[in-house]
Amino acid sequence: MSVESFDPDILGKLVHSAIREGASYAEARFHSLYGNRIGLMNGRVFTAGYEEQVGVAVRVIHGGGLGFASTDKLDQDSLYKAVSTALSNARISSSIQKHGIEMDESRLGSTRYSVYQKKPLESLSLTDKLAEVKERANAADLNMEGIQLKSFMLFYNELAERKIIVTSDGGYVEAEIPRAYVRHNLTASNGSENRNRYSVIAWTGGFEGLDEKNLTSSLEDDMRSLGIVLTKAKASPKGKMDVVLGPELAGIAVHESIGHPSEADRILGREAAQAGLSYWRDYKIGDRIGSNVATVIDDPTIPGAFGFYLYDDEAVPARPRYLLYKGLINEMLQNRETARLFGVKSNGAARARDFKSEPIVRMANTYFATGDYSFEELIEDVRQGIYIKKYMEWNIDDYRWGARYVGLEAYLVENGRLGDPVKDPVLEITSPSFYTSVDAAGRDLKLYPGFCGKGEPIQGVPVTMGGPHIRLREVIVK
Amino acid sequence: MTWSNLEYIADKLSSKLKEKVDEYLILVDESKKRMLKLANGEASVTQSWDNIEIGLYIARGNGKMLSIGLSTTSPEKAVGNIISLLDSMEPSPMYAPLPEASGEDYSLTDQAIIQYLEGTRELDLAGDLALSEIGNSAGMAEIRYSKIMLANSMGGFLRGEKTKFTGYIRVFKGDRSGQWSWTSPRYDGGKQAKLSIEKARDLAEECSRLPMGKIEPGEYRVLLSPMIAGNLVGELVRAANAGRIVYGMSFINPGMIGEKLFSSMLTIRDEPRNPELPGYTSFDDEGVSTKDKSVVEKGVLRTILHNSKTAKLMKTRTTGNAGIIMPRSFNLNVSPGDSPLSELLETLGNGLYLTNNWYTRYQNYSEGIFSTVSRDSVFLVKNGEFKACLNRVRVADKMINLFSNIEALGREVWPLEWWEIKPSAFIPHILVGKTGVSLPEI
Repeated sequence: MSVESFDPDILGKLVHSAIREGASYAEARFHSLYGNRIGLMNGRVFTAGYEEQVGVAVRVIHGGGLGFASTDKLDQDSLYKAVSTALSNARISSSIQKHGIEMDESRLGSTRYSVYQKKPLESLSLTDKLAEVKERANAADLNMEGIQLKSFMLFYNELAERKIIVTSDGGYVEAEIPRAYVRHNLTASNGSENRNRYSVIAWTGGFEGLDEKNLTSSLEDDMRSLGIVLTKAKASPKGKMDVVLGPELAGIAVHESIGHPSEADRILGREAAQAGLSYWRDYKIGDRIGSNVATVIDDPTIPGAFGFYLYDDEAVPARPRYLLYKGLINEMLQNRETARLFGVKSNGAARARDFKSEPIVRMANTYFATGDYSFEELIEDVRQGIYIKKYMEWNIDDYRWGARYVGLEAYLVENGRLGDPVKDPVLEITSPSFYTSVDAAGRDLKLYPGFCGKGEPIQGVPVTMGGPHIRLREVIVK
Repeated sequence: MTWSNLEYIADKLSSKLKEKVDEYLILVDESKKRMLKLANGEASVTQSWDNIEIGLYIARGNGKMLSIGLSTTSPEKAVGNIISLLDSMEPSPMYAPLPEASGEDYSLTDQAIIQYLEGTRELDLAGDLALSEIGNSAGMAEIRYSKIMLANSMGGFLRGEKTKFTGYIRVFKGDRSGQWSWTSPRYDGGKQAKLSIEKARDLAEECSRLPMGKIEPGEYRVLLSPMIAGNLVGELVRAANAGRIVYGMSFINPGMIGEKLFSSMLTIRDEPRNPELPGYTSFDDEGVSTKDKSVVEKGVLRTILHNSKTAKLMKTRTTGNAGIIMPRSFNLNVSPGDSPLSELLETLGNGLYLTNNWYTRYQNYSEGIFSTVSRDSVFLVKNGEFKACLNRVRVADKMINLFSNIEALGREVWPLEWWEIKPSAFIPHILVGKTGVSLPEI
């Protein structure tokens, strides 16, 4: 059966058949992802093509056990077989379960929505897109004095998502969310040292995003960063000092050290063997882990942001979540299973990457809330410190306690003024130390896209992370 | 799963493509998979998949080429749409004519796995994981059966089928933990799973018996368990992948072939023909016959992994490591040393024993400057004995330094595969002298 002839009514029938077989909850999701992709090597198209994934996922609770089945075969027999497989799986789960799984009683959506596209992705041919991507990439002036570009790789990908979610307790959501992203890696050399800069621009919407995100200037800016590091940067100072972080680094920090730890399934241990646990297990709602300046929000409803959605994959309406509010732990990210265990309502954080994936607790667009400082005001009373504008290396332990961020483009700050560029400053810091050290946030806000990995099999879902410039007082730089 | 289903798809696509393109390659992969996922010593979910993946490559002799990836049973429309675009493409700098399908059919299957996935036999995955005996644990066990069919425009036609039983387990004792994995083309009645559970439990228990220690950042001698060694060896082999080199994201370049870059104790082989590992295949994604080969032999870089396209770009020959666009490795095998673990600890003397890691990231791909974070038990070793258990630390160094400073390898190799170890691999303990270790400042 083709996608075009797929009858969404069957999803309701699948759900009913699971309930008839004794399931206490059932959900069926038709989920397709499709789009073009283009690869440029040193400005020339070296690969192009199309990707499409279409299928149905069925999830049931039976005897307190959770079962999931996924199939790309859309004929009736195969779909009903997926229901019986999901039921068998739930029975396997149930046989080794001490605590039964139940869903909370969240208000569910019965709705249909689609993201407006000024230039719909499907309205342009691959050939047209190829010409436009190439023109913008090759318009970038990547000549920098003192360095040589060794390799320039660029990939344009689309991820147009269509899904229909039906739950046995009345949820019905149809969504069309087109997304696209451009990744690039620049490698440059000063003759004795090579450096890379990898970055991504991405959006939710149509092809117009390519203009709005200004690919050409993004490439030029990254090449300029490499030029500064390779020709001018000196060794970074070490020791205790003030550090101003750009929105890119503020973004990865909130994603890793607030967003992930706030995931209720991680706190409960469901991802313990994969993405790990959370230091939030040792705290309770209302505990202070940061200064009054530190507010972190995760908001799926930001139009145009890469992690945008209005209803999650359990049909729960999305809303902004204030994870950290003025330094206090405020809210976890919840799906319907975890919400019931914590005695709250789901806040719409269940996401599945595709029809092969179960919905699990995920972030969407996570950012450090703005303050009221200009950039100049942030650095003007820094006597001795550094400003980290861009980074390359980062990681965090599986308890989300200790993180490491290594600056790429970074500068000295001396007596309130930006000084010379410095190389590879390392900020290796615990999560509470990070948030208690923040004493000021800028009024600018920028979101950076990425794919966040979690689950088994691992699911990479589109997200953004960002914030304003923020200032940390008296932290150790290595 | 029957071959006729795959043949039907391949035939339909072949007839659609035959008259319209100069070259085509169709790769159809049908798989069935069941996974039991555990957390807090009980099941969190049991999942099944029944999927077909279609990879398609089409080209003109003048170098115009396109590729398609589909996960659907009705590929005709998508394929029809894309053919019409081929002539409007520009010749690709990566183009190389499709090679002959020189590989042969293969079958590396276990009937127990096939029958289980087809519902005609029961396997006790939950029993294999012996949950009641180990207390607080998390992990997963996965069983898979796949059929792969390849057809190309030169009449090449190949079939392969294989099975797999893989998983990993993390055992907690209070706030200490141990983790281990296993992988195999066969279901062995849960023997490997039980060994992994024992390893994970022993590490957690050993750590929980010791006092907590503290170290300062600096250079340490480190003993890497197979779990962390497997992750870092995988990183090294990815750096020897021509795709990564073309992308500018590698500290290895073709001029280094024949150079002694690493310790002479280090031999890493890519072994697609190793029947003890589930990445087994006799043909790559271009149909080329695979072969086992050294990537690193006694510290000397011997092979950069190629498909026909990267090979042409670098003026060499394919190594039979094709993915449709970029190369890949299939199974890794690190040659063991001759030391048991007790002797390795003795040789380590004073240092750290790291048992697992995750989140390996690069500050500079071109120079191989990276860090990775330990997870699970980290032991402080003094005079060859465990003296304390440590909180999480990082290894932060250069890849070439790390693999140059190898002082010994364990004599026992473990078949491993998990989130941080891909592809499947046989890995021993690796003892490294003088390695950068860092940790967060409070």
